[in-house]
Amino acid sequence: MTIEEKIELLAETMDIEESELQADTALADLDCWDSMTKLSVIVMFDDEFGKKITSTDIKEFVTVNDILNKME
Amino acid sequence: MFNMVDLTDKKILITGASSGMGAETARLCSKLGAKIVMAARREEKLIEVEKTLEGSGHKYYVFDLSNVEQIEHFIKQIVSECGALDGFVHSAGIGSTRPLKLLKPNVLKAVMDVNYFSFVEIIRSITKRNCYNSGLSIVGISSIASQQGNQTKTAYSASKAAMDATVRCLAKELHRNKIRVNTVNPALINTDIYQEFLDNSGDSEDAKIIMSRQYMGLGEPIDVSNMIAYLLSDAAKFITGSNIVLDGGRLSS
Ligand SMILES: NC(=O)c1ccc[n+]([C@@H]2O[C@H](COP(=O)([O-])OP(=O)(O)OC[C@H]3O[C@@H](n4cnc5c(N)ncnc54)[C@H](OP(=O)(O)O)[C@@H]3O)[C@@H](O)[C@H]2O)c1
Repeated sequence: MTIEEKIELLAETMDIEESELQADTALADLDCWDSMTKLSVIVMFDDEFGKKITSTDIKEFVTVNDILNKME
Repeated sequence: MFNMVDLTDKKILITGASSGMGAETARLCSKLGAKIVMAARREEKLIEVEKTLEGSGHKYYVFDLSNVEQIEHFIKQIVSECGALDGFVHSAGIGSTRPLKLLKPNVLKAVMDVNYFSFVEIIRSITKRNCYNSGLSIVGISSIASQQGNQTKTAYSASKAAMDATVRCLAKELHRNKIRVNTVNPALINTDIYQEFLDNSGDSEDAKIIMSRQYMGLGEPIDVSNMIAYLLSDAAKFITGSNIVLDGGRLSS
């Protein structure tokens, strides 16, 4: 999956414009980074990458890039 | 000594007996004298549980309840090998935590297959002539989620509400055949499903808030199994069509 495809998928998952997702964007600065969005990210990893990530993994995500790196 | 909840020689089918409340119910019913027929997907777990059962004459079957179409045949096989049933407990179930936008029909169906369609299909199959003994008692493990809504729990809550509604209808339909049908509705209980809920809650604050309302704390599987054993016994002969809440105070607080 190319970086553009990952950003597209993540933007769809988070219900946010792609332009708001820069690699170095801090997740805490995004209004949408609430419990529902975190959950959507968990489900997206399961559906698209067959990866079970947990609430602990979510807490370790600081920037958008941290999520993108795990998307494989 | 008099034992109110006597299950001596009752043959009880328990789905989801490989872990959690299903396994606990199998152990308790075996202590009360029942012969247990267990069904689930993980054979190694079923073997482990079988070793912890009291008495003899228990059996296990490896079966994936997602194959709803094959259930009728599966039940025929069980009845021909084990004899007619006196009880059925549906403990098989999967949790599902999904925002609406990720709740595609295939996901909804996967949850309904295991939690609900298989429940009805097993009841349909075991209530045929010669498959059950008079006094058959059916208990589904529903959840308080059938009565309470929460974001992302649409599939799970709907599957449990469907079970609750079904027992009200089937209780009336089947009482002529001396069959009772009920659900139990636990709140949070300490099992693998609870662990999964913690892992997926996205924000562990949600879990803390829920636990503060469940003021008696986290339930243990035995808290639910005790009620199931009672419902399976003849002591509960006047109870049918009910959804019995076991929630450590949660719904009333
Ligand atoms: N724990 C709670 O807080 C809670 C609260 C309310 C209601 N409940 C309900 O209680 C029931 C029992 O759950 P539990 O908490 O004891 O968790 P659990 O230990 O995860 O038990 C679920 C059981 O379902 C079986 N199962 C799942 N998918 C299956 C399939 N496709 N075919 C056959 N068996 C399948 C599993 O066995 P295999 O994996 O071996 O197949 C397992 O034995 C569930 O219906 C759950 O919804 C739980």
